[in-house]
Amino acid sequence: MFVNRQVMALIVAAALCGALAGVGGPSPATGQGAGVFRTPLGGEPPTIDPYFATDFASGDLTFLMYTTLVGFDSSGRLVPEGARSWDVSPNGLVYTFHLRDNVMFHSGRKVTAADWKWSFERMGDPALKTSVADVVLAGVGGFDAQQKGAGGLAGITVIDPATLQFVLNPEARGGFLNRLAYYAAVVLDRDVVERGGQGWYEKRDAGSGPFMLREWVHNDHVTLTADPRYFLGAPNLARVELPIVTQAATRLAEYQAGQLDLVQVPLADFQRIQADPALGKQLIVFPRAQFIWLGPNPRVYEPFRDARVRRAFALAIDKAKIARTVFFGFYQPAASIVPPGIPGFYSGYKGLSYDPAQAKKLLAEAGMDGRLPPLVIAMNPIAQDYQMAAEAAAAMLKENLGVDVSLQRTEFANFQQGMNRRTVFQAFMTGWAADYLDYSDYLDLLLYSKSPLDRVSYASPAFDRFVDEANAAPTESARTTLYHKAEALAVEDAAMVPIVFTQFALLKKPYVRGLQTTPALSGWLRFNTVSVER
Amino acid sequence: MIRYLAYRVGLLIPLLLGAALLIFLAGHYAPGDPVQVLLGDHYNPEVAAHKRHELGLDRPLVVQFTAYVARAATLDFGISYVNPARRVGDVVRETLPISLRLAALAVAAAAVVGVGLGVWAAVLRRSIVDRLIQLGVIAGLSVPNFVVAAVLVLWFALRWRLFPVAGWGAPANYVLPVAVLAAAPIAYITRISRASVQQVLTEDYVRTARSKGLPGRAILARHVLRNAALPIVTTIGMAFGYAITGAFVVEVIFNIPGMARVAIDAILQRDYTVIQTAVLVYTALFTLINLAVDVSYAALNPRIRY
Repeated sequence: MFVNRQVMALIVAAALCGALAGVGGPSPATGQGAGVFRTPLGGEPPTIDPYFATDFASGDLTFLMYTTLVGFDSSGRLVPEGARSWDVSPNGLVYTFHLRDNVMFHSGRKVTAADWKWSFERMGDPALKTSVADVVLAGVGGFDAQQKGAGGLAGITVIDPATLQFVLNPEARGGFLNRLAYYAAVVLDRDVVERGGQGWYEKRDAGSGPFMLREWVHNDHVTLTADPRYFLGAPNLARVELPIVTQAATRLAEYQAGQLDLVQVPLADFQRIQADPALGKQLIVFPRAQFIWLGPNPRVYEPFRDARVRRAFALAIDKAKIARTVFFGFYQPAASIVPPGIPGFYSGYKGLSYDPAQAKKLLAEAGMDGRLPPLVIAMNPIAQDYQMAAEAAAAMLKENLGVDVSLQRTEFANFQQGMNRRTVFQAFMTGWAADYLDYSDYLDLLLYSKSPLDRVSYASPAFDRFVDEANAAPTESARTTLYHKAEALAVEDAAMVPIVFTQFALLKKPYVRGLQTTPALSGWLRFNTVSVER
Repeated sequence: MIRYLAYRVGLLIPLLLGAALLIFLAGHYAPGDPVQVLLGDHYNPEVAAHKRHELGLDRPLVVQFTAYVARAATLDFGISYVNPARRVGDVVRETLPISLRLAALAVAAAAVVGVGLGVWAAVLRRSIVDRLIQLGVIAGLSVPNFVVAAVLVLWFALRWRLFPVAGWGAPANYVLPVAVLAAAPIAYITRISRASVQQVLTEDYVRTARSKGLPGRAILARHVLRNAALPIVTTIGMAFGYAITGAFVVEVIFNIPGMARVAIDAILQRDYTVIQTAVLVYTALFTLINLAVDVSYAALNPRIRY
């Protein structure tokens, strides 16, 4: 039986090899041609349900496919989107939106006020617990009642198919329009969502934006096609192709090889690209609504419980030098918390300028000069900037305060958990970018004592009161004044230490025209005005 | 033979169980969880608790593990925690074939090139060709694959634009990643083939064949290669293992939507079900590769029986 055994052995071996080699169909390659615009997603989107779209990939897709009532233009001004115009009652609590009559879902059905109401009620549905309800609906009357089980949102009324009314909660009215301009505050096609069940967003979208979902090949790419019925006019592009490319270096190399038309430049490559005669001309640089900050955690590092110690740390870090040398002048030193792209930016505010002598003095006053225990600063690993800022700040703290500072590198999941627990890191270096262009997206979230994101455990009754008053303020200017007071208080308390305001650096091929930029999101506005002229 | 095969395949079960348990515990005791990663800067303890409950992450670990194993036994690997609309089975079905195709192409290329170079070097022992090949072998073994990748991308994709920088689908996409993955196995296979062939060339039966007047090619094909094959086949089997693990680097560098890249994303996002399933698949794969190598011995050498 020797031959049989030999034959059989060969068959088994061949079958195993064949099974390994023969499988696997090719995935569709990204195409090229006129009217096709290619820009990468930084990772596989975990969802494209707009109300859960909190990462960049799903946020970008939501932005391209869906419509908000109001939006931001390139300069950060509020502009009409799904709403043609709106009226505000004299007391500032009733907003009546007049909807455009030409906004169509991608299914071809017209968007009406009832669709908006249904969508916002789904967003607030306590059984769904969407990620964006708190941001968008906080000021809408009846939101708290909905959370407690009242079906529906009493504060939203359909007056007629083209008129939608919001009644606001006077305590939380602040920034209402800015919140509505959040990319996730969109209208959904009820038929698509309800018929599609869980994962309804996998095969088609429920949007009414300039582009619609053609295919989502997981981990590989997303392709969108233009909707010629788009209410601001048919897009110039036929297709947007969004390959999923997880590595920044690969994205840049693909751009250089002509496989992509628009990419973000990793900071490490910025100077090289700026100096490159060809690439330098394709570089677009503009302010981003983001700041990098150091979070002192008084719950873990005891000396931080004394505001004088925190202030000494803030005074010992030379932000101007970090901006100039570490970030080669590309970023700006941050005197305040809220970045320049946000309406009401506190320009002219000096904050805590670099003053090592004063810092030493404050430490001595607090009885901590030369007695500070070693400090570990955890760094958010998601962007290289945070690590660069942390390294520079650590060196300055060592030199100016004599404190033994070391840096902790951790992976993102670990860092996130450590920050959220609030009892893990002594201090951390991270950044914060705007979801929507409003003061509340910074102060209410990062420092208000009841916010789940108050990761530095700042609990100042005065600060909370300023923020409460700002949210109840009857006018924008009154609101801004109150926010400035809150901001100055937090900066002078050194509840957090803002280091720099960042910028976007994008590379765009010369044949791409009509791209509009924004300080928020990924730096670009919906591509409906973009054309590709090769 | 059949009994032996059944035994070896049967061994898979405890092996897979053990691997699943280890990775399950490692995953759950590592800091961070999928919900925190998912919510990112929208973290809110209430929403997080709701999400954890929805995914069953608030159940005792024993319950979670047994539920996973019971389902996995029916080849249902559950849902991805990061995108609950995705079934892990679908993730594997879409991504594994890509990784296998990449590995198979790399091994095939390595086998052809490696054996060719090895035999050539052995036949022309101590010639300049032999020395150059030896030099290449040392380079292939000592330069890490991410360096090879960077150099190939720089020259072939960015400078000469012969192949795409990254991506998957078109045949042109295969060339660079396959070359990177094949580099070290080529070196290994060349070295082993050279040594093995060289040794066989000194055997008496080769001298006899030569004295019978058999042409060199026939001697090589009929007597030398056949007898030198055993260590070469082992090395090729090992190359498959190397290609599959090497894919963890290569798929990321070349942005290939295969199982290795997905597994890395899953690890970073703590997508437990995907991680566990990936580990099960890789464990099974390695076991089967070893089995294939063992079984091929019997085919190549009549003295080996199972």
